[in-house]
Amino acid sequence: MAESSVGARQVGRRGTIVCAALVVAPESSIFTPQELAHQRVALDYGNGTAYAGLQMLEGAMPREAVMTCSAATSPAERFAGLMRGDFAATVLQEPWITVAEKAGCRLVSTTFFHGTWVATRDVSPAAYGALLRALTRAVHRINADKRRYVSYFIRDWAGHPEVDALTADDFNLGRIQVKEPGPIPEDEARWAWDWMVSWGLIEGAFDVTAQIDRRLERDAHELATAGRHRAA
Amino acid sequence: MTLTLTIERVMAFMGLDVLVARDEGLFAEEGLDLRIAALPSDEMRSAVEGSPAKPVTNQGKLQARGESQMFQA
Repeated sequence: MAESSVGARQVGRRGTIVCAALVVAPESSIFTPQELAHQRVALDYGNGTAYAGLQMLEGAMPREAVMTCSAATSPAERFAGLMRGDFAATVLQEPWITVAEKAGCRLVSTTFFHGTWVATRDVSPAAYGALLRALTRAVHRINADKRRYVSYFIRDWAGHPEVDALTADDFNLGRIQVKEPGPIPEDEARWAWDWMVSWGLIEGAFDVTAQIDRRLERDAHELATAGRHRAA
Repeated sequence: MTLTLTIERVMAFMGLDVLVARDEGLFAEEGLDLRIAALPSDEMRSAVEGSPAKPVTNQGKLQARGESQMFQA
């Protein structure tokens, strides 16, 4: 993302790593991502899951064989469209990956990606540092007992019968990954930017100072680390 | 002194750590009054309205109008 009108820039990686899966319907003849060549794949453009979906396709075929269509932001709607046969595949995240598997759908590819925090200029290192300390403690608690926390994925979609029917034991814990939030590696930020430019999704040259507020990122992470050491 | 911060709504798939920290009182223990702001449902738009080159996203909308300080991208 470019610097916004309110001076917002990225300030670090999130703690929760997203799992995204390319999913086909139960009766589909497709078993591998290569078999999605020239098939309509529904992606929620503008969201990380869409770009993860595009990267999974790109890794399996020439770009000219990638055929996508715009899909709803809601994974519930994408799952419903898949089951109706509106498209050959779509990209899903949890808990809808688990819903899809339970419905007999197949995962033909999965991947993981970091997201980032974006902050305005008025966020203080002290406040962001406090946020990071709390999130780091939460990451440790989740990693100590992931099964205990999968109810959060169900709670987000309460009222959807497919999700309400899930139990904690239905979830593949390998798809739930959290890590202490940290700074954004510049090379990875550049790769992501250049990749989006290569698809015509954004324009211009990568400028790390426009993308990442390194001072806030550094100061907050230093405060968070110092605070953890004092508490230890 | 209590610090305050307003972030945009997160869901478990990309913000499980945020939800757990909130519910288990970890922000308060770190001296942070964390507020989570949600975009009104009638203002939410679906990605299906967009295209690869002109995507539609709800992320950052509250921040753009000064109602949150942080969001997840």
